[in-house]
Amino acid sequence: MTQLILQSVVSGLLVGGMYGLVALGLALAFGVLKVLNVAHGELLMLGGYASFFAFTFWGIDPFLSMPVVFIAMFAFGAILYLTLFRYVTRTEIHTRIKNSLLISFGLVLVLQSMAVRFFTADERTISTAYSSDAFTIGLVRVPVVRLAGLAVAVIAALFLEWLLSSTRFGRALRATSEDWTRAALTGVDVKRVYLVAFAISAALAAVAGSLISIGYSVSPNIGLGWTLKALIVVVLAGLGSMRGIIVAGLFLGLMESLAAVWLGGQYREVAALVLFLVVLSFRPQGFFGRAHA
Amino acid sequence: MLEVDGLEVAYGDLQVVWGVSFKVSESSIVAILGPNGAGKTTTLLALMGLLPVKAGSASFKNNSLIGVPTHQMVNLGLVMIPEERAAFSSLTVEENLELGAYTPRARPRQRETMAEVWETFPRLAERRSQKAGTLSGGERQMLAIGKALMARPELLILDEPSLGLAPIVVEKSFNIITEIRDRGVSVLMVEQHLEMALQVADHAYILEMGSMVTDGTSSELAADPRVREAYLSL
Repeated sequence: MTQLILQSVVSGLLVGGMYGLVALGLALAFGVLKVLNVAHGELLMLGGYASFFAFTFWGIDPFLSMPVVFIAMFAFGAILYLTLFRYVTRTEIHTRIKNSLLISFGLVLVLQSMAVRFFTADERTISTAYSSDAFTIGLVRVPVVRLAGLAVAVIAALFLEWLLSSTRFGRALRATSEDWTRAALTGVDVKRVYLVAFAISAALAAVAGSLISIGYSVSPNIGLGWTLKALIVVVLAGLGSMRGIIVAGLFLGLMESLAAVWLGGQYREVAALVLFLVVLSFRPQGFFGRAHA
Repeated sequence: MLEVDGLEVAYGDLQVVWGVSFKVSESSIVAILGPNGAGKTTTLLALMGLLPVKAGSASFKNNSLIGVPTHQMVNLGLVMIPEERAAFSSLTVEENLELGAYTPRARPRQRETMAEVWETFPRLAERRSQKAGTLSGGERQMLAIGKALMARPELLILDEPSLGLAPIVVEKSFNIITEIRDRGVSVLMVEQHLEMALQVADHAYILEMGSMVTDGTSSELAADPRVREAYLSL
């Protein structure tokens, strides 16, 4: 029993790192542009396929293709902003959420259908030589690729924190998320900030997708599930701390995993949603968020 | 240096500014005065490109401002401190000042300007690593002005600088505004408090219901019986 619990703690934390990584991009777009992109998971799905095909056709290792996928999806995110989300950001702050929901839900349908048409509905996983490698600590088995996924998530969060706190552009991002009008009056090109923030958000989703195509699997309909998890993580953490997002992701993964062991596998999802409701009711600004007036 | 002619602004079908014209010349303080709801803030926001202009023209140093993005105006030296104070509460005092020098115009002289700001506002230097959200009203006002100075303005626009401040802080702010003018920066301010504004302004306009009703030098306006009756409780 002890071994089972320890093993599920470790598996929970490892999948939780992915939740955190997926949530980072969602939180960035939401915090800066005030848009809720429910197609975030579909961007992840595209990133997963990009790594999968790079591996299948050209034999490129997914960890090597990851930077290329990052750049490609940065560009795709910029295109999505210019063609779709730019129009949402022209509306009043408080109407952006509902407008972005409508637009991004449409995007979900388009990207999913296109994925089924071009990539087929089959589930795909990258099997490299090291895919099933694992090491054992005591009684617990740690799969190497999933551990690498967690490491990437932590690195991404630290990179974002550094960007936000120590660079000129990061200060402009924080100012814009606090109040875009005053940011513009300070001389910040708000449209450019929006473009870059959305592009980074998409690129982070794609990196998560690459990792998921190795440690887990990709198929055209995986998007919404990951978006939902990311949304729960953002609610748990609150906006304002990138490190907090990763911690909340780990916490969600852990809770799901323990619920599955103690209550049964069918309670995994229930645990996540109950956590979501409890936090929304008692601490709506999240664990690490600031309460806003 | 700033010329606004026949400016009209509407929120959808609701027009609130009807053909407003005014001028700000070099090294002077100009005040636009009028009661709450007269369209003062609307005029400024439209001027800065934050509200659509329905008709009229505006130019700064002979560059038309119509259709120019806000951040580019800041880079021209046209800097506005909005009513709710310009500082960002989640950034520290120092980060706010650094952000103030965001434009290519101000960036190369950031260090030098910041030293000047610390000197003008020693209080801010004491609080440099504190979040702006934790400052008092007066300190926030100083930070807002300091941050605007970081942009190396040629024309500083202030929306209701006296709003929500204790009389002593207002007096101090107006002293600083005069000092800024004496350094060669023009100032355009919008105010409800006529008495105080007329004490510092060189020229003033009175705006009512979205139209300019009169204008003149501060002493002319202070002596005008209609102005005295309507606004000054003398």
